[in-house]
Amino acid sequence: MLKKIAQTLGLGAFALGAFATTTLRAEDTVKVGVLHSLSGTMAISETSLRDVLLFTFDEINAKGGVLGKKIEPVVVDGASNWPLFAEKAKQLLEQDKTAVTFGCWTSVSRKSVLPVFEKNNGLLFYPVQYEGEELSKNIFYTAEAVGQQATPGVDYLLNELGKKKFYLLGSDYVYPRTTNLVLKEYLASKGIPESAIIEKYTPFGHTDYQQIVAEIKQFGASGDAAVVSTLNGDTNVPFFRELANAGIKSEDIPVISFSVSEDEFRGLPTKDLVGHLGAWSYFMSVDTPANDKFKKDFFAWIEKSTVPGIEKKGRVTNSPMVLSYVGVYLWKAAVEKAGTFEVDAVRAALESGVSFDGPGGKVTMQKNHHITKNVYIGETLADGQFKILKSYEGVYGEPFLKGTFGKK
Amino acid sequence: MLRFLLTLFYGFALWAGCAVAAESAPAVAPGRAQLLAALLAPPAEQVAAIRGLVGVEDAAITPALTAWRAGELYLVPLPDGSRVPATLAPAPNGGEQLVALSVLDGTAIPDPAAAPGSATPLLIAPKSLKPLDTTAPLRRAMRDVLEVAGVADPSPSVRRESIERLGQSRKPEHLPLLQARLVIEKSPVVRTALADAIAFIQLADSSHTVRLAAIAALGEAHSLAAASRFKELLAATPPPPPDETAALTAALKKIESHWKTVNFFGDLFRGLSAGSVLLLIALGLAITFGLMGVINMAHGELMVVGAYSTFVVQNLFVSVFGATSTAFHFYFIAALPVAFVAAALVGLALERGIIQFLYKRPLESLLATWGVSLALQQTFRLVFGPANVQINAPAWLQGSAALNDVLFAYNRLFVIGFAALVVFGVWLALNRTSLGLLVRAVMQNRQMASCIGVRATRVNMCTFAFGSGLAGLAGACLSQLGNVGPGMGQLHIIDSFMVVVSGGVGNVLGSVVASLGIGTVDQLLQPILGAVIGKVLVPFAIILFLQWRPGGLFPTRSRSLD
Repeated sequence: MLKKIAQTLGLGAFALGAFATTTLRAEDTVKVGVLHSLSGTMAISETSLRDVLLFTFDEINAKGGVLGKKIEPVVVDGASNWPLFAEKAKQLLEQDKTAVTFGCWTSVSRKSVLPVFEKNNGLLFYPVQYEGEELSKNIFYTAEAVGQQATPGVDYLLNELGKKKFYLLGSDYVYPRTTNLVLKEYLASKGIPESAIIEKYTPFGHTDYQQIVAEIKQFGASGDAAVVSTLNGDTNVPFFRELANAGIKSEDIPVISFSVSEDEFRGLPTKDLVGHLGAWSYFMSVDTPANDKFKKDFFAWIEKSTVPGIEKKGRVTNSPMVLSYVGVYLWKAAVEKAGTFEVDAVRAALESGVSFDGPGGKVTMQKNHHITKNVYIGETLADGQFKILKSYEGVYGEPFLKGTFGKK
Repeated sequence: MLRFLLTLFYGFALWAGCAVAAESAPAVAPGRAQLLAALLAPPAEQVAAIRGLVGVEDAAITPALTAWRAGELYLVPLPDGSRVPATLAPAPNGGEQLVALSVLDGTAIPDPAAAPGSATPLLIAPKSLKPLDTTAPLRRAMRDVLEVAGVADPSPSVRRESIERLGQSRKPEHLPLLQARLVIEKSPVVRTALADAIAFIQLADSSHTVRLAAIAALGEAHSLAAASRFKELLAATPPPPPDETAALTAALKKIESHWKTVNFFGDLFRGLSAGSVLLLIALGLAITFGLMGVINMAHGELMVVGAYSTFVVQNLFVSVFGATSTAFHFYFIAALPVAFVAAALVGLALERGIIQFLYKRPLESLLATWGVSLALQQTFRLVFGPANVQINAPAWLQGSAALNDVLFAYNRLFVIGFAALVVFGVWLALNRTSLGLLVRAVMQNRQMASCIGVRATRVNMCTFAFGSGLAGLAGACLSQLGNVGPGMGQLHIIDSFMVVVSGGVGNVLGSVVASLGIGTVDQLLQPILGAVIGKVLVPFAIILFLQWRPGGLFPTRSRSLD
């Protein structure tokens, strides 16, 4: 019933009823915003984050809530429309007065809500790998920074696989371009000459990877080349299919992808990806009691859930979901430490370095609003899971990497 | 000296291996004892112990090290304090417990608690054991052992890969092994790989003549891996002697000119294949828009109907025959007619329901079909879900053939052949059948055709359904190349209009020439300018072209468009 009311609130459909319930429940609940795209192109990825957030709130509420108050989610739909994200953020902060908001996937949606959160002194937790070069006092980035995904991934290629040539392939937008800029500096600092690096971009929705794959095959003929892919979403299907057709195997030219997680495998022909690599701060296959419990509870919740339109079949967990989950717990820990929901006090508590033992290992909030976390390198298996090959523990999150490697 | 010793060692190992194979397997082969010692050695000595296995021939070494490298090897403790290296497999009775298969002989370890002589296997609870640790130096040592062992592997592809890796490692100690293998190797592919690998190692040989011969051999083999090595050698200080420099430059030139030719033909093939894809998606539109003059914005969704039909047929085959059966691989053949009919039926309904009332109002037909396109997209979402669906390519459409280093992917070859077939079919249908005659008559002058007794409405209906069916075929083909999802049609609708308009509206031949031309130009520009600029430049070039020739390549005079 409570959840039903909460949804009604979120949709703002019955303003009067909402008003009545708020006054009734104002004493024992705290409003928390969920700002994700539930329709449009990004809905496929972002709906999973809404699901995991609602699950986390239920889990916390079942144990008594935060500071004795139950969490009351306010779910709004950004609809894959960036200006709408800003409007919805404004609604959450000015109308609903949410204590904290969890949301955004694409960098452009985050950039569009950033001024709204700064103006209203709100609090946003952002959970998806991103390019860095940003630090707002109102945003906490549980996301993987470039140094927590791309550079460990390249380290693995350099040190464990002994690769010396790199083909940087990405979709044409800000995350791949910035990541590759940092990676090129990083590779240069490791003694890789510019002539051993090729950088290529393809538009969104590109389907013809013949040229690129032909080039990769010749580039990798010497046996010491690897592909670093920041290709986004479904362009991975034609790419990996072409790669498999050209007879390129992961033992010869491994591809490490930074945008393909377990959730994306639901629409990919995994057979073509077997043996290729991924780097995330969490894999569904992480073998710890904390992760076993998280998966069991989440799938049980999905099974019972009455959220309209929720996908019940073939669900998986992935890094952005877990980073949303740990974000909620870090906020809870900070609120409990501060003893209040007041934004400035909570921020101070977060910056002082709260920790949480999450499904992917221990995470600690840093002074620079990023979190220290474990990073895993995994190999794709035929069932769409990753086998963990290497883990880097307690990697520091640093958003401003551009220009730092050259100086060393 | 070291090399000599190693050679001796290899020789001995080969001989020992043969001897073991010849005798009827002794209780513990020496190689196996050495393997066991390496597995149980304290961590500090493991790397050296594993390196000691290089060249030792024993059937257990490859599976044991492969499992260890993959983190799937366990040391199973026995009550008497000994530990047995084993892999774990599900118990045959299907329970939660696992059985341990000894890597030394591949059999299940018997339960020591059971009565002696009984065959009860030792059962192990999942997660009760930790796999044997691996580190990067260990894995590297294992890789070295496996590569040397791989040279004698029964599978030619494993042999070839191992040989290529040994060549690239450029370690002179592997030379005798490779040369010995060359004497007995029969597979021509592996022989080429062997010759290349030997020449690669000989690049660093102490003898001047051997080096020159190796350079010439690699140049002859057009080895790309050698080209990058040659460049390193040429840039090295001190530079190689003058005659070697000359040989290196000549060989490098030979390799580079070979690959330039390869890339040229590769580009042509890729252009042809990209053009065929464009042709397939535009051909249906060339009929519905080109001949009939209907601006059908739902053309893309008709393709999606074809693609989803393929998906449905695939699932049907999986449920009837099973995903691993041979029959499964022919689902695509069955899917083609299904895709044609499904899309034709949707097209028929569209024509009867909406378009027939709008033949004289092209602008309204544009808006109405756009609405239909949105409605169809939402329908796909409701029926098949918002995510893309997985379509697995049949085995005969996977992989590629190499002809003189130019790669021809089977699915691309298929699309080219299929596009040619469809074009031929359309030409036959329009020019060699009585229905085609009626179609042409109605398209040229609808009223006059009606006057002389042609049932124009029926002909319109059939033509539109035929064009839609072609879109369905295109969708089925696209399912083998890219994604199948509700939004897939939107990706291709612009391209198909682009082809039809630049080819000349009302002319099927124009669409053929335009699609092949656009495809080739796009593929030739891509390596120079990149995919992103190409995506911008091609439409821009088409706009300029249409400024110059507004009627397209082959302008037609047709009353319906005037």
